Amino acid sequence: MVEKAILLDMEKCIACRACQVACKQWNELPAEETTFFAAAGGYQNPAELSPSTFTLIKFNEMEKEGKLWWLFRVHSCMQCVDPACVKACPVEPVKAMTYVKETGATYVNRELCIGCGSCREYCPFTIPVIDTEAEKSTKCNFCFDRLENGMEPACAKACPTDCLVFGDREQILEMAHKAVERLSAKGRHPVIYGEKELGSGTKKIYVLPEPLEYYPDLPKNPKVSEDIGLLHELLNPPSSILTGLGLVFGGVSWVANRKKIIIEESKSEKEG
Amino acid sequence: MASLAATFGRGAMTNHWIDLMNTDVAMVMGSNVVENHPMASKWLAKARERGAVIINCDPRYTRTSSFSDIYCKLRSGTDIAFVNGMINYALQNELINKDYVLNYTNASFIISDKYSFDDGLFSGYDPDKRSYDKTKWAYELDGSGIPKKDPDLLHPQCVYQLMKKHFERYDVDTVCKITGAPKDVYEKICKTFASTSAPDKVATWLYAMGTTQHTHGTQNIRTYAILQLLMGNIGLAGGGINALRGESNVQGSTDMALLFHLLPGYLASPTKADQSLEDYLKTNTPQTKDPKSANWWGNYPKYITSLLKAWYGDKANTENDFCFDYVPKRSGDYSHISLFETMFAGQLKGLFLFGQNPAVGGPNSNKERSALEKLEWMVAVDIFETDTSVFWKRPGVNPADIQTEVFLLPACSSVEKEGSVANSGRWAQWRYKAVEPVGQSISDLWILDALHKSIKKEYSSGGVFPDPILNLSWDYGSGEEIDLHKEPDVHIVAKEINGYFLEDKVVNDKQFKKGQQVPSFAFLQNDGSTCSGNWLYCNSYPGPEKENNNMARRKKADAINNIGLYPEWAWCWPVNRRIIYNRASVDLKGNPLDPRRWVIRWNESAKKWEGDVPDGPWPPNEKHPFIMKPDGHAWLFAANLNDGPFPEHYEPLESPVNNFMSSQEINPAIKLWHKINPEGNAVGDPAKFPIIGTTYRVSEHWQAGAMTRNIPWLAELVPNVFVELGLELAKEKEINNGDKVVIETARGSMNAYALVTRRFQPFKLNGKTVHELGVIWHFGYNGLAKGDSANVLTPHIGDANTMIPEYKAFLCDVVKEVI
Repeated sequence: MVEKAILLDMEKCIACRACQVACKQWNELPAEETTFFAAAGGYQNPAELSPSTFTLIKFNEMEKEGKLWWLFRVHSCMQCVDPACVKACPVEPVKAMTYVKETGATYVNRELCIGCGSCREYCPFTIPVIDTEAEKSTKCNFCFDRLENGMEPACAKACPTDCLVFGDREQILEMAHKAVERLSAKGRHPVIYGEKELGSGTKKIYVLPEPLEYYPDLPKNPKVSEDIGLLHELLNPPSSILTGLGLVFGGVSWVANRKKIIIEESKSEKEG
Repeated sequence: MASLAATFGRGAMTNHWIDLMNTDVAMVMGSNVVENHPMASKWLAKARERGAVIINCDPRYTRTSSFSDIYCKLRSGTDIAFVNGMINYALQNELINKDYVLNYTNASFIISDKYSFDDGLFSGYDPDKRSYDKTKWAYELDGSGIPKKDPDLLHPQCVYQLMKKHFERYDVDTVCKITGAPKDVYEKICKTFASTSAPDKVATWLYAMGTTQHTHGTQNIRTYAILQLLMGNIGLAGGGINALRGESNVQGSTDMALLFHLLPGYLASPTKADQSLEDYLKTNTPQTKDPKSANWWGNYPKYITSLLKAWYGDKANTENDFCFDYVPKRSGDYSHISLFETMFAGQLKGLFLFGQNPAVGGPNSNKERSALEKLEWMVAVDIFETDTSVFWKRPGVNPADIQTEVFLLPACSSVEKEGSVANSGRWAQWRYKAVEPVGQSISDLWILDALHKSIKKEYSSGGVFPDPILNLSWDYGSGEEIDLHKEPDVHIVAKEINGYFLEDKVVNDKQFKKGQQVPSFAFLQNDGSTCSGNWLYCNSYPGPEKENNNMARRKKADAINNIGLYPEWAWCWPVNRRIIYNRASVDLKGNPLDPRRWVIRWNESAKKWEGDVPDGPWPPNEKHPFIMKPDGHAWLFAANLNDGPFPEHYEPLESPVNNFMSSQEINPAIKLWHKINPEGNAVGDPAKFPIIGTTYRVSEHWQAGAMTRNIPWLAELVPNVFVELGLELAKEKEINNGDKVVIETARGSMNAYALVTRRFQPFKLNGKTVHELGVIWHFGYNGLAKGDSANVLTPHIGDANTMIPEYKAFLCDVVKEVI
């Protein structure tokens, strides 16, 4: 197998939410209780990603240069090529945040996950959501189980307009460039997002028909915090035992504390 | 559909879904296509990859508008002004396909000098009856009974000249004054669309309920059809007038005549005036003296006789008019509004509802729900407990006050049974049972079969006129007794719908044996030797085995012209012709007008047509292309519609402005229910209700909501009923996004969340600023996700031809809810 990707050719998105529902159906996730809509300017529900919602559509209604725009985008795990969440995951000897070499899919192994929240802390897009009751991290899993069986992710399969297309990352990048040509030819100002972001890019490759200022909540220059290396050092100490032991004990208690802090933060976010 | 039949001869989408990818310009008007037909977006996206332009006209900027390339604001109820203006633009600038118009339409036909038009009225109007004497609009005939024509299109009473006169009143400024469309965008659209009059450019027209659900709905479609004919876009790939049906199988249901005025295959249902089969045939079988007119409806006798044989078998013969006496004769108005008005008056005892939820989906919900209370009994057959089935315990009502006996029969869903589904493109696709029905739910087929058995049993011991029931030829393999474990065989039903020979017979030099399936409707007979439950479907199941079921085919190979016909994927009517009126896609020599996207072409050496199934096998120029019209031509001038041969702008029943075109405020031919039965039918005064109201759908919910408001994942997406209103109106009313508001009309009021948005912008109509708001109509008092029904707002008023209710334009007011 080869590293996979999903093209999100957003000019074709009709915000129907087939992807949202297909994701819930495949992952057997429950519906959330909602009221009206979560944000102004559209029909978004629910308000945020959660242990019950791994993908959602955001609506941006705006007036710019005398024209009315209503633009949609998918909000979900970007499935980074070099995932910070995997680096951040402290679980040993096998990480809970699992990277599948064959396809590049990143998913949470719930049996191993301790819900410490490091993945969320270091995610440049702040995607993983900690289920504070189950004490597990949750996020889009790239339908790794479907991929294992030669099927495409549920969202790509459900998308009625071929806005979401699944394939090999190289092929998807070619398609993205072709889409840029097509959009430029008709006077739009397309941008590819996910090709080079974070250096090695992501596996969700957006073709946005207009530049990033039309998608205000997409981080312009996503970065992984540099201290992710330090965290690793703390948790996986170098051969020196003298400094090592002290650091390890410190590190473990730091992690345990972090876990507590994350859980409390999540709880207060929910209640607040 | 009435409009398409009047113009072209058949009431159906002329092309099909996949064909949308072939277009250069797609006009989406009266439809929110990506919202409600998401799969169509795929094909539109493909068209766009080839450089096609998508134009969307809507009072509100929708998800379709976001998907489109050009968006134009258009006040609800003003399509006719808008498109009449586009027609005028084309005529004034001579941007029409001249040869097409001359040869394939009735542009050159000369109309009686009794025809005229003045101040919003056509000649022949009777103001007391609110109807027209259509004989005033007849063709001038020559000595042989064939319509006179002027091939130079100059005669003052020829259709073309009458058109120019009629449409020149719709200049750009007038149109913008009426519709509120911005002038620059409107002109751009006129220009872009008129460019498809060139033979190598084609446009498709997509419409749905935004077009039909008006008091002038039929004429809305007529204006689209006229424009498309002037462009020469009918019968071509990527062209056509494409009615996007509102349900997955509503095409199938209308094909099978679930309409009050029809029999299966769009045959007319007889009226009291038809005392014999001969009378009926005289009324309905069109005649022509033109040898070049195929006049396919001339085959009426074969189709009605075969239908009667399917219903009554051996009992139907030449002596008894094939049991024509058993067929109920219409003597009144059986449209939806009329039925509910009659119910309200206490004159309807019982009601069967199969997959229908009028307490939410019908207009004027308060009146209709009250009407239900007058029933003695109701049988609701549905997959969920609908709002209608529990009307007797709805909020505000004491069940003890209601005497109706209500039965709820559990139907199973389409994936729990086998059968066909016919989509908008006329494709009948066979489907299989995927899972066993849940609980006690069961197929509609079983229910109807069981009903027949019970009713037959009752009638065998008495009742008024039992013969039509007792003599039915009815055996679909489920045995004599009602048995929950014996499902009727849907293949027997399908094969009877196709039809078979009832005796050995030779037809067109072919020998057929008794019991043999009829290969196509060309072989149906009027002597009782064939039966067919629906002549249109004759060819769907032309052989005895399941392998002969054309509807079940799934071959992915395209036809040689590679335009997405996929001729062996399922089957479509008629006789698998994917693009109807395709004889208009070639010139008089049989050469494609648009060679790049040719639909059919004449192979001179083989002496036959290639490509799609041609609209009749005759060689080029032997027959006129619109074979379902008695004169073989498409009707620019359609003299058989109740409200006029040309579309004319009238205001909706409730309108904030006067009609700028004439002194006729509303469609002169509509039935005024508020005058006939004032109770519950109040009409709103613009002084009290100054805002235009409309209703529409969202992708996430389905029709009256029984199927979607009970699904948690869908209820999560759209949990409440909401109203969309513009920033300016919201500011005026001090309404913020997320506030709860009350929307009121003369008939009722409802509560909803307010969604304040830039996507509704005020209309400037001749200087006056008018606001419009819209409510989604999926909600009701029953189900997991509940809410008020938008239809408490809408009126009991319908189109002049179809009676379809005017759900799309009325007057209302909105205020913040007082807590």
